[in-house]
Amino acid sequence: MISLKFIEVGYNTPLLSANLSLELGNLYALVGKNGSGKTTLLQSIIGMIPTIHGEIILDEKSIHSMSNLERAQKIAFVETKFMGINFLTGFEYVAIGRTPYTNALGRLSDRDKMQIAKSLEIVGITHLSGKHTTRMSDGERQLLQVARALAQETPYILMDEPTAFLDYSNKRNLIEKLKKIAHEEQKCILLSCHDLEICLENNLPLLIVSESEKKIEFRNNAAKEEILKLAFS
Amino acid sequence: MMIVHVLSGQISLNFSDIVSAFNTYDATNTNHIIFFEFRIPRMTMSILSGSALAVSGMLMQTLFNNPLAGPYVLGINSGASLIVALTLLTGIPFFATDFGLISGALVGALLFGSIILFFSFYIRSHISLLLIGLMISSFVGAIITTLESMSAAEQLKSYTFWSFGSLQQTSLNQLPLIIFGCIVGFLGSFLLTKPLNAMLLGETSAKSLGIHIRSFRIWIIAITALLTGTITAFCGPIAFVGLAIPNLTRMIFQTQNHQYLLLGNLLIGGIFMLTCDTIIQLVEPYFVLPINAFTSLFGAPFVVYIVLKKLI
Repeated sequence: MISLKFIEVGYNTPLLSANLSLELGNLYALVGKNGSGKTTLLQSIIGMIPTIHGEIILDEKSIHSMSNLERAQKIAFVETKFMGINFLTGFEYVAIGRTPYTNALGRLSDRDKMQIAKSLEIVGITHLSGKHTTRMSDGERQLLQVARALAQETPYILMDEPTAFLDYSNKRNLIEKLKKIAHEEQKCILLSCHDLEICLENNLPLLIVSESEKKIEFRNNAAKEEILKLAFS
Repeated sequence: MMIVHVLSGQISLNFSDIVSAFNTYDATNTNHIIFFEFRIPRMTMSILSGSALAVSGMLMQTLFNNPLAGPYVLGINSGASLIVALTLLTGIPFFATDFGLISGALVGALLFGSIILFFSFYIRSHISLLLIGLMISSFVGAIITTLESMSAAEQLKSYTFWSFGSLQQTSLNQLPLIIFGCIVGFLGSFLLTKPLNAMLLGETSAKSLGIHIRSFRIWIIAITALLTGTITAFCGPIAFVGLAIPNLTRMIFQTQNHQYLLLGNLLIGGIFMLTCDTIIQLVEPYFVLPINAFTSLFGAPFVVYIVLKKLI
């Protein structure tokens, strides 16, 4: 469980406050205006930016008291876009997700290789393992990022607008796949997203950045009008 | 390649000279002396300089996430050059010793490595960082030109020769120090291959994978400074090897795994400089080709090729 205990996030002045918990087995969507602090909140949860106030607890331990390595074994982070890197294959890319577990020289053990294969299989992209990341489509690379996060074998995965550069059908596929993974693999996945319709279609529990109060409101099964009023008016 | 290199040169040696030099060394035999005192150091320096600069280039390119980075372009060579210029042109006695020269060049490389690292915190754009590197180089160039205009003819000559780049100024007794510096640098790089791989995904991702970014950066700069500083102190500023070879290695090995890339850079860097120097030795009877000019003759068109092929 991730508990955000009366936190205020921001760089110098508080941008956003939140007080809620996220459970394993669910896919949560974080929605709100551009510049409302979604990315800042995600980066605070992974410990990249210190919180101004309050505490973030991962399984009964404050993230600020964890080492980089401990945190990396608990929480995986996926950035908005992966552009692909020359000569880097899908397998090599997903293998980087094993970094928190390999020895000082980064040698892959049998268990590491098994986990990489399993992650590729769960996402359904085993056929991409030999393909160069620069020759993949945006949709393929986005799925590859998910596989990398799974290879990191963490209970929690945070994704910053993973659907931003995808076409409509890829957006739907990705969200549906993530929901299934969260449920079947018992992971807690939190993603920021601007595709409200797709989130509602999948009945995702929503974290809404309230425009007037600069605060995260939690809604399960909310009507679209209410969300629009809360976040965008 | 090593044997071809050793056998080429103004005074011709043949294979039996080498064999006999190893078996029964004769201190009065000129060929034996040439072999041990000149050819061996020159061959070793060719390999080491190529490997060290290629590895430095690889480290810089991954650290800054920029395939056009390299110790020369980012002005790390300039740091070493500045100290050497101060040494040769002003004649401070401490720097005149081998150890003084190496440590001077090292401090210079480290200082300028830190400067470019400092700028990289504030500048996200690849092109801007390269521009800053170029500005640092020309700034240092201006200081050196000023020093040159004030110094005596004899000192000016020795500095100018140094700046041409040369693999033959090293003597047999300086070799152990250089080999030691390079080996420490290579082993250090080998220990960094894991964070280097993670760094491919950018800083935020690398950090979320548990990499301690700050100490990683410091180590990269320290190792680059050690390798570049040592080579620059003895061979002069050698351009383009650090930029071109890592790209060539990636193309040949078709991988981004730094364990392979490191070995590839050691190998291809060494072979490249050995080939360059063999050609220089072969044309030596007709005209003198400075190594710095020669690597640029190869390197500059190669960089244009990389840009045209859109490999960056």
